[in-house]
Amino acid sequence: MSPLAQRLVDELTREPRHFGALVEAHLDVPWRDFLLAWGELRAADVLRRDDAGRYLIPGDAAPA
Amino acid sequence: MKAGFREFLRALEEAGELKRIKKPVDPRHLSALMAQAKEATLFESIAGYPDWRAAGALVATRKRLALALGCAEQDIAPRFEQGIRAPIAPRLVDRAPCQEVVLTGADVDLTRIPIPMMHVKDGGPYLSGTVVVSQDPEYGRNVGSYRMMYRTPRETSIDLVSSSDMRVYYQRALDAGRPLPIAVAVGTHPYELLAASYKAPIDGDEFAIAGGLHGAPVELVRCRTVDLEVPADAELVLEGELLPVGWTADEGPFGEFSHITGEVKWNPVFRVRAITHRRDPIFYVLQMPWENDWLAAPVIEAAGLQALRVASVEPVAIRAPVGGCCYWTLVASIKKRPGEGKNALLALLSVAEVKLAIVTDDDIDIGDPDELDWAMTFRVQADQDVLVVPGARGKHIDPSVRAGALGRGGLPTTAKLGIDATIPEGVPRAHYERLRYFLKDSVRLEDYA
Repeated sequence: MSPLAQRLVDELTREPRHFGALVEAHLDVPWRDFLLAWGELRAADVLRRDDAGRYLIPGDAAPA
Repeated sequence: MKAGFREFLRALEEAGELKRIKKPVDPRHLSALMAQAKEATLFESIAGYPDWRAAGALVATRKRLALALGCAEQDIAPRFEQGIRAPIAPRLVDRAPCQEVVLTGADVDLTRIPIPMMHVKDGGPYLSGTVVVSQDPEYGRNVGSYRMMYRTPRETSIDLVSSSDMRVYYQRALDAGRPLPIAVAVGTHPYELLAASYKAPIDGDEFAIAGGLHGAPVELVRCRTVDLEVPADAELVLEGELLPVGWTADEGPFGEFSHITGEVKWNPVFRVRAITHRRDPIFYVLQMPWENDWLAAPVIEAAGLQALRVASVEPVAIRAPVGGCCYWTLVASIKKRPGEGKNALLALLSVAEVKLAIVTDDDIDIGDPDELDWAMTFRVQADQDVLVVPGARGKHIDPSVRAGALGRGGLPTTAKLGIDATIPEGVPRAHYERLRYFLKDSVRLEDYA
């Protein structure tokens, strides 16, 4: 997993976030790099959703 | 030869309705900038995407919709009707601008397309202005428009919750345990989007309807990896298949055309096999909710006119107001004979997901909200002139249908309301004689300045 994808995993394991909030926290990253990292999380099938539409990663689902 | 996406951009520019932005723009800023522009917007440089431009908010007003249809604003519904009544079959061509660049195999990568981030609570970046083609062995080709949320460089989700012909096609493929091939064209003339939004009979060809609107055949080209055809002049095409996984992938929220943030839905997954595009592509950002609303207006208004005529009611004017997102509300004035106020309501409420219909006599200007309020105040007795039809088909994005309680893939119902604001039977028309100022036409204010 890329360092950016790992950072996203850490953030979503810590607390649920809307996709927009994640994007806003990484505006310094080129859009394409962000989407590639997001694709890594999708491919790893670790993302879950809460009722508010936020993404989260349960602690036991986080990739090592 | 018919007009395409670029010809429409030119028409907007000639009418003073297109703003060009030359500075490089991050795709994350596209929607916010479009929302601030009074005109449609063409972004000539996209940061990080050197080959691409982007354009959006093209039909975000009734005026620009009328420009797309080449008619006056009040003639939108009849102009649309004229097109759909005279379909022209599409024509197959061998070479196409949309296939100047063909990416397959390891080169398929959606992150190379400047897919924008639109609203604060969206579940991801979205392709919004899509013309999606699918095929069923029995029913033939279907063309619709569906939003698609980025998932991975090769996958999106697709909103297939609401009832539609493609939902039927997908269900049939799913029942057979096979994927449903689809092709997604982005950056077409609005006619193709209008035809895709039109509820044609399941065996009707939306591309023939688009041809009728153009007055010339839509040129189609065969896709490279799926057995489907797409508009040859599109800016971008995604080819692939809906995986036979059912409604299992999270999708949304997305800024809905009801002007509110939707909910997370469970939907199928689209796997991309090929990306084809022009050498100098322009990515079309359909700016939600306004473009979606206005693109619905002619379809719903024309369907309303048609329903009234089938009910043998003579329509004078019809409007799908933007307050009802040009979709849920229809207001019509008619030349009324006894009983036809109610007949007209029954006809209008049969149109798609229209849940509020108001009918007036032909002396009411239905484009004037004050006139409409007046008619509803003085021509309506609530115990006689209001119809409620419970349990009709509804739409998920209307929060009042409580779709959240339905479970994955469930379809909601709704109650429909009709208000007959025509002069009640038995009340003489003279009772509604409007006030007129004495000698109004004999004196002029400017003579006393």
